[in-house]
Amino acid sequence: MENVENIVEEEPVVQEEKQQYSSIRYAWGAVLAFFGISTKTHRASKKRAKFVGDVFTYIILLFGTFLMVYPFWWMIAGSFADTETSRELLERLVWWPEESTVTSEFVAAHSAGGIFWNYYYFFTKGVQVSENSLTFWRVLLNNFIYSVVPVVVGVITSASAAFSFAKINWIGRNAVFYFLLAAIMVPGPSIMTAQFSLYDSLGWRDNGLVLIIPGMFGSIMTAFFIRQFLFGLPTSIIEAAKIDGAGYFRIFCGFILPLAMPAIMAQGLLSFMGCWNNYMGSFIMIPGTSHAINLPHAIAAMDGFGGNGPFAQQHYASVIAGSVICVLPVMILFACFQKLIISSLMLTGSKE
Amino acid sequence: MEDTITANEAIEDQAVAEEAVPQKKQRKPINQAKLQDNLWGWIFCIPLIVGTVWFVYICLVLAFLLSFTDYSILKGDMFAYVGEMGQHIFATTTETGEKIVQPFHWYSYAFTNTIESKTIAGYMLPEIWLYMFNTVFYMIGIPIGMVLSMFFAVCMSRDIKGGNVFRVLYYFPCVASTISIVFTFKLMFSQQGVMNGILGLKDYGGGGGFQWVNLSGFTDLTWNRIISDAGGTPNPNSKFMNESFWCQGLLTKVIIIVMSVWKGLGGTIILYIAGLSGVNAATKEAAQIDGANGWTIFWKVTMPDLYPVIFYNIVTSVIGGMQIYAEPTLFIGESYITSGYVSLIWLSGLNGMGAKPSQGAAYGMILAVIIFALTMFQFWLDSRNKD
Repeated sequence: MENVENIVEEEPVVQEEKQQYSSIRYAWGAVLAFFGISTKTHRASKKRAKFVGDVFTYIILLFGTFLMVYPFWWMIAGSFADTETSRELLERLVWWPEESTVTSEFVAAHSAGGIFWNYYYFFTKGVQVSENSLTFWRVLLNNFIYSVVPVVVGVITSASAAFSFAKINWIGRNAVFYFLLAAIMVPGPSIMTAQFSLYDSLGWRDNGLVLIIPGMFGSIMTAFFIRQFLFGLPTSIIEAAKIDGAGYFRIFCGFILPLAMPAIMAQGLLSFMGCWNNYMGSFIMIPGTSHAINLPHAIAAMDGFGGNGPFAQQHYASVIAGSVICVLPVMILFACFQKLIISSLMLTGSKE
Repeated sequence: MEDTITANEAIEDQAVAEEAVPQKKQRKPINQAKLQDNLWGWIFCIPLIVGTVWFVYICLVLAFLLSFTDYSILKGDMFAYVGEMGQHIFATTTETGEKIVQPFHWYSYAFTNTIESKTIAGYMLPEIWLYMFNTVFYMIGIPIGMVLSMFFAVCMSRDIKGGNVFRVLYYFPCVASTISIVFTFKLMFSQQGVMNGILGLKDYGGGGGFQWVNLSGFTDLTWNRIISDAGGTPNPNSKFMNESFWCQGLLTKVIIIVMSVWKGLGGTIILYIAGLSGVNAATKEAAQIDGANGWTIFWKVTMPDLYPVIFYNIVTSVIGGMQIYAEPTLFIGESYITSGYVSLIWLSGLNGMGAKPSQGAAYGMILAVIIFALTMFQFWLDSRNKD
């Protein structure tokens, strides 16, 4: 009711003032109204205002997208640079390298790799260049194992814990849950040295078990998010299953896992990405001379910290090729499952 | 008890009389079901409990205990060492052969150790505060990232076509590995790189190009010339601009901040979009009818509703920001000029055969206390804000 009164009161005032404006101001108001901005002299149509706003939004967002995507394009273009003569070529790169591997002369001179010569070099010559005669196929395999085995097993153990916390009534359930949740307050670097000594005395460092076994026990954050998801599922399903004589194990495998699949998949994919990019874990825990190092660690070793390593000058483009190999699988995976992952992240945002 | 049993039997008889199926279920006393609940509850939790206790809590206790000893990697198995901890508390022997036990040696060492400045010979700097300064300096990126991502989130939550596509594209840097991004940025900010091309600095300093990534002061920077010497010639002896700690490697730090903001933007945008979609539309509409413009609506209606998301974001960013390690290290290596606090743990505790995990553990305990205090401080501010 108040609103209506306001409008009624204001309207005659506006009409009176209209005549007082100078013609310049009036024309300016007309121009602004054309671009969808309402002034005291002219009222722009809502449709026009929305259209102009949308155009500006698109311009801003497209500019932002350019900033977000350009470094990736740079990376891909750089991986096709022919840096055999100088590395400077790579520094000057803006859109496409001045001398690239995508030329008929280059392909004729390098029959082995063709236009993907930098990638070929990255995979084969790593043997000669890195100190420990390690092939990059091995590194890739390591990275794959480190990011699949602990994630698959860890997500299932986390989901089982989440099921227990969300749907089974047992004494001390909340106490145990908060006890575990408090573990996220402990910063990783603080206990890094103790973990290092622990894994050292267990003998997990040289063979890379350090990146597999701890992850297999699941993580409390994953369990927390799956638990939030399970609270949304009706308990009556479980009750019905119980009445039909299903045990808890059967309920977990037959009902909870399929029903909570979206949450489990999203959490699993997110932790897959984390494990694939886990530079710190490998760098700190696994000695550089071991054959168990993962891909980011190997690329860093190739670069030699600051561009002075053996690879740094002549074949620097193959380090960039390695970077592309490190980024590409995760990007493709994310692009395929973006809906699932983003909706899961949105859930995180709206929950807290 | 007897009553219930007889009652059960009575029901059972009835059931048998009617149909034989529910017999099994009703014979079960209630206690049995509760026992099953308790048993299976624990069984499903056991892996997570074991993992968390083993790899977090036990390690925390071990790190706490280790920080009082003189353990080093050369001294072999840690468990044997901690087991007979009584003999291994840090101690120094005086000239007279007297043993002085100093359990808090590494803590006092952390706060008193000084290192020589690289630029001014004989000038000693307090080590821990240098690394702490760098860590806090990198946190400048947090408010910048928050404002930017809020801006983009508001743009994306407009009613436009293809908003979801932007969301995905902006999230790409978040999933990319740090190492690839560091190499790309390092080359893009190189002397002949893209950034110098855009800023017109390729010919700076006689054709060499402007050097972003370095550990020196502003020796060859134009405004150093202006500030330090009215004649226009660079003054390499200006201590304030070239030799003092704060300005060394400053541009490198700025690039690292730019990179971290760029990398973290997508995640924050998604958080904010989720928050924005939860803002009460009816309140917004009411404000619109009352004649509030977009700016007022944003500050008076949207922001209060977004407060929990923003608070969550600040808390997690500060916790993450205190633990910055990989970016500076990969960019320019470890040095007191650019590295964050975690480098101190790595350098003292794990780097090389002579490293002392005990010392690293002491630094780690200090970090844990700082992070805990910061988090509690934020929650205290939050609770005060609510009143």
